[in-house]
Amino acid sequence: MKNSRFRYPSAREMLLRLLPLLALILPVLAGPPPGFAEETKFLDRVKSIDEPFDGRVVGQVRPVVQPTVLAKESYKGGSFRVLARKQAIERYKCSSCHTNKEVRGKNALVLTHGNVVINHGQEGSALICIDCHNHEEFDYLEDKKGRKIDFDHSYQLCGQCHFRQKRDWLGGAHGKRVSYWAGDRVVFNCTTCHDPHAPKFAKRFPATYSVPLD
Amino acid sequence: MSCKKRDQEKNCPEGTQQKTTSRRTFLKGMSVGAAAAGVALTTGCVPGADAAASGELKLRWQEFFKKNYRLMTQEEKDQTVARLERLAALKDGLELQIGSEPPIPQVLYGYAFNITRCEGFMECVAACVKENNLDRKTNTQYIRIFEMEPGQLDPGSGDGQYYHEVPVDNKFYMGTQCFHCENAPCTKACPTRATWQEPDGIVVVDYDWCIGCRYCQAACPYFGRRFNWGESQVPREELTVKQHYLGNRKRPRGKMEKCTFCIQRTRKGRLPACVEACPTGSRVFGNLLDPDSEIRYVLKHKKVFRMKEELGTEPKFWYFID
Repeated sequence: MKNSRFRYPSAREMLLRLLPLLALILPVLAGPPPGFAEETKFLDRVKSIDEPFDGRVVGQVRPVVQPTVLAKESYKGGSFRVLARKQAIERYKCSSCHTNKEVRGKNALVLTHGNVVINHGQEGSALICIDCHNHEEFDYLEDKKGRKIDFDHSYQLCGQCHFRQKRDWLGGAHGKRVSYWAGDRVVFNCTTCHDPHAPKFAKRFPATYSVPLD
Repeated sequence: MSCKKRDQEKNCPEGTQQKTTSRRTFLKGMSVGAAAAGVALTTGCVPGADAAASGELKLRWQEFFKKNYRLMTQEEKDQTVARLERLAALKDGLELQIGSEPPIPQVLYGYAFNITRCEGFMECVAACVKENNLDRKTNTQYIRIFEMEPGQLDPGSGDGQYYHEVPVDNKFYMGTQCFHCENAPCTKACPTRATWQEPDGIVVVDYDWCIGCRYCQAACPYFGRRFNWGESQVPREELTVKQHYLGNRKRPRGKMEKCTFCIQRTRKGRLPACVEACPTGSRVFGNLLDPDSEIRYVLKHKKVFRMKEELGTEPKFWYFID
């Protein structure tokens, strides 16, 4: 059907009608605004790099001074080390007292392990010694499957409940590296920061204070 | 001006002090010519015989006319660093190890801060003050920790001056410092180009080219920069002797300073002092260009956000939640 009142718009009208459209198109043709361009450039550059960084270019990385052990887990397909624990345990080896025979002595428990305060687990279902310690071989820990676990590799034990933390720790979002960001990966063990008997950090005063900015 | 306050007290006769304290007199002296300026520098503040004999004057002269750090060749950098070490030994009897390590290729530093884990112990702040030889008199700090109500995400509404037992139940803690923006507004504001971003992403200040106008402080939307109103007062036994030209070396009076991701440490592969001091592991530092780094893990697997992201400053400092 033909509309008799229809007429073609003049060139001027056409231009006026197209102006808003042009205003939309032109900046796109000219490229994104500077801030936006920077954003894509910077994060794209970061994301585009898949080759592992060659740590050898950082010349001055020395081995960490603390004793370490090779972790029994892998980090991105490679190995890493954790801080050792046994040296920090005052009475290790436990088997020097805990032999096959029962340990007897007046106040022996209080005198030797009186400093241990267990504050681990929910109220009412707090953990007891043999939840983590192997009750036959005292030099080892034991998980719920009955596996013997070395004191240096306590993350294997902690991870059975705290699996989210362990996953983060393996990746690097929980815990921390020792001394260097470069070089071989050496990380803190669970027990380096947390007291396994009372893992929550105690409340205390901050190390310093801040004054208002000028 | 060449005649520093310390020398005035020590060496300057009464009369010359009056003369040299005026900027105009000094500029007049300069206009006569290089030779006359030299005379003004040398005679304006007559050093003691021992200082002259040991070449302190010559060192100060060379330091005065050195270039902007970015225009120096490595040789010139080594020379100025050697001069600064020698001057520190002559003036204060300090044995410093000032470095001028260049950026490491294929490295872009990034930082992440876990707001779930931080418990506000402020060990990072104390470690930073110690590492960077910050002024103890005015209590300058590069890092701030804010005690925040749940639901807040702007440190401006948090309490930055708390001093009580932490952590307080149902509060969380958020740290701020220089975020080393990729698109840093502070570097654009500087009229003397005394501040810039290094290829490894660290925003640095050349303290000897900074004129102390504080434009950069006004330009920074994160309050990341600090101005020193006087020379920093650091107890001798607490001084960190391992320094970097762009990092924790002694800043002259009236200069801008800021967090440098502990450039003197990180360029040697070490962690910044705050990361090393953190007792809760809330701070993650690493190379953004290394796909195996911890910082990349955090960015990939955690909920992250940056402060005032809408400004387009591109901070290389992410907050994350467990």
